[in-house]
Amino acid sequence: MVALIITFILLLPVAAAAGCLIVRRDNLGNGVILITGLALAAAALMMVSIAPAGLTAAELGGRTFEGVILAADMGLLIIFLYYGRRYKSRAVLFLSTAQMLLLGGVEWLRPPWVPFDAMVFQADGLARVMLLIINLVGPLICCHAIAYMRNHERHLKLEKSAQPRFFFVMLVFLGAMNGLVLSNQLHHLYFFFELTTLCSFLLIGHDKTPTAVDHAVRALWVNSIGGTAFALALVLIRVSKDTLDLQRLLTQGHSPADLLLPALALLCLAALVKSAQFPFQRWLLGAMVAPTPVSALLHASTMVKVGIYLMLRLAPMIQGTFLSRCTAVYGGFVFLAAAALAVGQSNGKKVLAYSTISNLGLIFACVGLNTPPALTAAVYLLLFHAVTKALLFLCVGTIEQHIHSRDIEDMRGLYAVMPATALMTVAGVLMMIMPPFGVLLGKWMAMESAATDIPVIMLVVAGSALTVMYWARWAGLLMSEPVVVPFRPERMPMSTWAALSVLCAGGAGLSAAAPWLYDLLVSAVIAPGSLLPVYTVHWGIMESAAGRFAVFPLSLLAVSGCLVSVLAFRHANRGRAVSPYLCGEQTAEPCVFNGPMDQPVKAGAKNYYLTSIFGEERLTVWLNSAAAVLLILLLGGTL
Amino acid sequence: MNHALIILGIGLVAGPLLGGLAGGLDRIVTARLQARTGPPVWQPYYDVIKLMAKELVVVNGWQAFCVYSYLFASMLALILFVMQSDLLLILFTQALGAVFLAMGALASTSPYSQVGAHRELLQILTYEPLLFLVGVGIFLETGSFKISVVMQWKDPLILKLPLLFAALGYVMIIKLRKSPFDLAASHHAHQELVRGVFTDFSGPLLGMIEIGHWYDTVLILGICSLFWATGPVPMAALAAAAYATIILIDNAAARLNWRWMLGHVWAMGLALALVNLICRHQG
Amino acid sequence: MPIQWLDKLIRRARVKSPWLLHFDCGSCNGCDIEVLACLTPVYDVERFGIVNVGNPLHADLLLVTGTVNRRNGRVLTNLYEQMAAPKVVVAIGSCGLSGGIFRTAYNVIGGVDQMIPVDVYVPGCPPRPEAIIDGVFLALDRLSRPAKSSDRPPLKPVAGRSSP
Repeated sequence: MVALIITFILLLPVAAAAGCLIVRRDNLGNGVILITGLALAAAALMMVSIAPAGLTAAELGGRTFEGVILAADMGLLIIFLYYGRRYKSRAVLFLSTAQMLLLGGVEWLRPPWVPFDAMVFQADGLARVMLLIINLVGPLICCHAIAYMRNHERHLKLEKSAQPRFFFVMLVFLGAMNGLVLSNQLHHLYFFFELTTLCSFLLIGHDKTPTAVDHAVRALWVNSIGGTAFALALVLIRVSKDTLDLQRLLTQGHSPADLLLPALALLCLAALVKSAQFPFQRWLLGAMVAPTPVSALLHASTMVKVGIYLMLRLAPMIQGTFLSRCTAVYGGFVFLAAAALAVGQSNGKKVLAYSTISNLGLIFACVGLNTPPALTAAVYLLLFHAVTKALLFLCVGTIEQHIHSRDIEDMRGLYAVMPATALMTVAGVLMMIMPPFGVLLGKWMAMESAATDIPVIMLVVAGSALTVMYWARWAGLLMSEPVVVPFRPERMPMSTWAALSVLCAGGAGLSAAAPWLYDLLVSAVIAPGSLLPVYTVHWGIMESAAGRFAVFPLSLLAVSGCLVSVLAFRHANRGRAVSPYLCGEQTAEPCVFNGPMDQPVKAGAKNYYLTSIFGEERLTVWLNSAAAVLLILLLGGTL
Repeated sequence: MNHALIILGIGLVAGPLLGGLAGGLDRIVTARLQARTGPPVWQPYYDVIKLMAKELVVVNGWQAFCVYSYLFASMLALILFVMQSDLLLILFTQALGAVFLAMGALASTSPYSQVGAHRELLQILTYEPLLFLVGVGIFLETGSFKISVVMQWKDPLILKLPLLFAALGYVMIIKLRKSPFDLAASHHAHQELVRGVFTDFSGPLLGMIEIGHWYDTVLILGICSLFWATGPVPMAALAAAAYATIILIDNAAARLNWRWMLGHVWAMGLALALVNLICRHQG
Repeated sequence: MPIQWLDKLIRRARVKSPWLLHFDCGSCNGCDIEVLACLTPVYDVERFGIVNVGNPLHADLLLVTGTVNRRNGRVLTNLYEQMAAPKVVVAIGSCGLSGGIFRTAYNVIGGVDQMIPVDVYVPGCPPRPEAIIDGVFLALDRLSRPAKSSDRPPLKPVAGRSSP
């Protein structure tokens, strides 16, 4: 049964992707995507409901599978080399060659040896959480992309549709992610790791404009740094240990003499690059040139989550080391730094991008703290960040196609134009910063577990305050005048509607169900089997030794409060409408006042972006240097 | 069950009762400091009753949504406090209220209201880290974020965390809308931004904001009183002393701009908190 | 019974907490200085709960000084419109009452009551602070009576008015 589901979840996306390429008819292709999405979601849910298990090497045909993976590895690197040559990127050429040499070195010196009883694919607690994120959020993004890409191509006036290729890569990406989180052998994981790099490169450069190509190549070479670090780590582990099996490495632990710790530091570097942490953030910021569903996919369910996944996997191995401690401080710093940069941004997608980096920083900080409560916080943040960020990106994408701008200032009074999308964006923003929603639950856990570590908590509290600032002003101005009553949702394609509303309702619903998720999913990630649970759950209240969060009661209260407020809104719309205060000079037109010489003047106020403090040009250099210093400390400390 | 209901009732009533009274006392003391007589002590109640009975005039219906949510969050925060729940959760809930207030002000296009809202957000930005560090400091002393544990602590926390208490002073000044940090909206009428965040709220909505502010006042004074939580008397005395000091500062200080506020409070407040935390826990 | 009691409470609160908006409609500033004098410690109108709010959306009482002309007449109406009921208007000084010595100027429409309904007239050039406070209390008397805002005549449009 398990073998069947694992095979299914790995092969289906690839098969469907091929289907997308072959089926050129629009409706048919869309059907393939939707059915694949549903099947993937169902498979992931089934995976959660059955006992943890895996596929052994014997079941996969032993040696043959190893050969296939090795050949695929080399094939990937050759593709990298090809693109490196084509786009004249020395960095890509150099890094890919280095990876080839390293891999060849491993094969030649001490080829990875997988015994027949070793697990090749394994679905344990962490893998299941990741599978849920990938296979529930990912297909929703693909669903949203159907209408989005149609509009996008109409706008670009393409002669030949590039949609089959687009969906092909999207689906392969999901398959690669599934493979990545299920892999138990580090060198298999490396293959999938590189495959996600390739997919992201293809997706970012999808539009083939000079900027898109430029940013795609940048993403490729920056991520190749991560790949090279990963390959080097493989060599080091192989030199000091007789296995690349993650489970065995976890049980064996490390002794000071061997080279495992530097290897772990390199893996950590690979994770940081993948998650676009400072100073590697530029590839993710550049990735915004791609169509918005790509950004949503990269930010919410796939690419950047790889780094987190890798760190969570390795967390038990680095417990109590300087590496772990350093990661905590580094993560806290990125949380603060990215939040500060987000404050200075008026570009909506950039705000989202920085907020992703910032939240991932917080997760890294939690992993670095490496206590059971902190790891719980990390898993919650991972889960809810995925849902909420997907929602926000898709909302911004929908808005962008409608108003042809992604600037926050242009979204002023969006409620009058796109009521439903505006409301869902506000809901998404509230889910990012407000109790009782899941992201805040995660942040609460993070703060409670970071409280004993003074440097980390200082960084976290400052970052958290900045986070509130950049989210609140965005949500506020969407609701600005003029208000149109009664509420009439705008016309959207069915697939867009479905994706947005499912994500919105799902985010809220999951938040209310967070205490039960703990027993169902999260506790299995933190302490497989043994140990007492960190949080006890009763009546939907999560309680630990240090604190208590009444998730479910608060959710009920929030729902009732929201209902009352909606009634108040409806009641207020029946009140006498007056114009806002403009010193008595207002005219019949909204926000226009009578200026000198009786001429109408538009009244306006822009947001505070505080660019003199938080400007990108000003701050990035300093933040990058500081992050680089921390990173060098992190890597150097292990030697 | 009955016990819980009584506590809930206390929480709901304590806000308007103590908060309104504190507001009235503030106005009298301020008037006396200015050689005036000042209004009667229950003047805030007259104001609110009058506002609630006024015509409903709205600029934007979302303002009503935001005001109700603000009041709801403020009440919830105080109720959680009275129920001796988790300190960080209470702080998050009160931040929720503050954010809704700013969002309500952003819903109007009037530049006064907009600028007021952004100043309000800057105020939140300024005090939030300190407020959370206060929570962290209390946790490091008592080993728990639960107020029920803090209340059973035998020693006055202020003796161990004096600098953190001073940092809380900044938070209180901002939160109570007192000079020198009352840039979003002075609690007394009239300033360069008309009424800042409150500009475009009118009648009942303004009255509800006022009630929400009462709840906020009681909550922040309650958090302040945790620093001497050995019994009701020292708690009340500490809160009263802090409140009186803040009124004095309010009357003696001029309003600063946001650069000053952010720079000064973050530099001084965070330094105070850091020094205190490090002295206690890593020395 | 509780309804009556509540009504009484509300009317009492209205009298006890008048928030006023002071609008200078082109006055020579003589009256304005006297209005502000009421706020000083000597007169201290905050004793009566009076607060100068400077925002029509918050105010119950509109204090107008100076003559009404074509430019500021519209502003006056706008401010009056923005105030939430129940509201009362006090015209202060000779100019506010009738246009005063400027009434024959080419641009002057006349007194405040040419634009908006006025409840109390406080004469004087300028009136003394005591007179202004007295005027405010006369206006409050009107607030304390059961509210009947519907018996006000509708506002006249600005354009239809010609200079005297």
